[in-house]
Amino acid sequence: MTDQGIKSRPIYAALRRDPSGRRHLYVSAGAEPPPPALCDGPLEGWSVGPPTAEGTRTPPEREGERRFRSASQLKATLARRLATERMGLRLYAEGPEDFLWDVFGIAQEHGLGRQEVFLKQAGTLARRVQCVHCKTLNEGVSTTIVRCAGCGANLFVRDHFSRRLSAFQGVKVDAEQPGDVPPAERAYP
Amino acid sequence: MILDAPLTARVAGIDPLSPTLKRVRFVPERGRFPTAAPGAHILVTLRGPERIWKNAYSLVTPPEQRDSYAIIVRRVEASRGGSHFLHDHLKPGDPVEIGPPTSLFPIASLARRHILIGGGIGLTPFLSYLPVLRARGAAFELHQYCTDDESEVFAGLLAEAGGMAMIHGRTNRRSVAGILADQPLGTHVYTCGPERLMAAVEAAAFAAGWPSGAIHKESFGSAEGGAPFTVTLARSGRTVPVSESQSLLEALETAGVEAPCLCRGGACGVCLTRVIDGAIEHRDHVLTEEERAGGRLIATCVSRARSDALVLDL
Repeated sequence: MTDQGIKSRPIYAALRRDPSGRRHLYVSAGAEPPPPALCDGPLEGWSVGPPTAEGTRTPPEREGERRFRSASQLKATLARRLATERMGLRLYAEGPEDFLWDVFGIAQEHGLGRQEVFLKQAGTLARRVQCVHCKTLNEGVSTTIVRCAGCGANLFVRDHFSRRLSAFQGVKVDAEQPGDVPPAERAYP
Repeated sequence: MILDAPLTARVAGIDPLSPTLKRVRFVPERGRFPTAAPGAHILVTLRGPERIWKNAYSLVTPPEQRDSYAIIVRRVEASRGGSHFLHDHLKPGDPVEIGPPTSLFPIASLARRHILIGGGIGLTPFLSYLPVLRARGAAFELHQYCTDDESEVFAGLLAEAGGMAMIHGRTNRRSVAGILADQPLGTHVYTCGPERLMAAVEAAAFAAGWPSGAIHKESFGSAEGGAPFTVTLARSGRTVPVSESQSLLEALETAGVEAPCLCRGGACGVCLTRVIDGAIEHRDHVLTEEERAGGRLIATCVSRARSDALVLDL
């Protein structure tokens, strides 16, 4: 069920420092420290504290480290930061696929190209699913079939991933036989 | 549409711009010329009394201009004769054959800002960029490096093309590193001119952390002569002499060999030919260090033999 034969999905390599860059920024959707392969020199590290730590966060230990309350806050800050950045920056992102491509979209909007942004999938495999019928984005989908929060259709979660929307495509599963909805399997933990 | 057949044209006018620079305007014999991309060049076939030259020149006319094409040619002392013929013998009304325009130096569509750095006559491709960049409302800067003597000529050409340029003469020039030091994300640099200038631009961009995809170079006219040698064509067994002032490609063409080519400046790689024997003096911008060391491929438009003879798989 998980391999649907769609071969256009992005493949992610381990992050390593690109020595041709002059400044390096690592953003993570999680709270883990940056991978050692990036730390061979000055590195800014942005991370997101888990909601369970709300109110108990300690200030960052290293210089250049920042902790955000949420991935949304991190992305909004990243957009403001990139608007004033100069050539020579390398951006590294680590997190779930929707986070990665949101970051890539922000980077691209501010002029960073494929040679300047590096992505690595980490954490939950749960998917952001766009309902192709009503365009609602359903977050955190871990099952092969999901009921769309927008229009109520039972969507089959295809492996077709949109880098632009940072989302998988969900297509009505019972279009031919209304009501014929196979049981959902938990496939994307 | 891919055009293969040469365009027949004639010389409509020749303007002397300086003692060594002439602008030559061509008009089509019939109909209109094809639309050219910004930064495009054409291959002009010049038929002298004793020999034929095929030289690549950047178009300096705006891309949408189809009733005429113009090029600017410098008379080079150490040339293989093409620029001398063009300066000293070509006259209005003469027929010429022109290859369809080809662009190996396009404007990067994803760039958010463009820095154009020309050196001397290397300004020419940028003259066709300017109307396009302005029409797109693109952010750009143009820096032209030249001798003090020529700064007025280039200033005049840039004014015709709409201006917005900085001219850097010999005595008062800003460093390339200074230009590239503090540019916003999404900036691309394009350079055309002497090898030393282009190398300086590339080095400054890398030093400032620019990715290779944001650095664009165009080089022409590096087909300088050298020691004569002979080339043997393995398939036909023929032997062709290459004189001091000829390129290997020109010698092949003179001998009637159909050799592939496109840019004639060592930039595109279309002319790469397999070498069976002999030592190569590589002068192209296409082969990797590994391929050069391998010694099995030669860019016939610019490279020569380091030995007395070469054997080609032709």
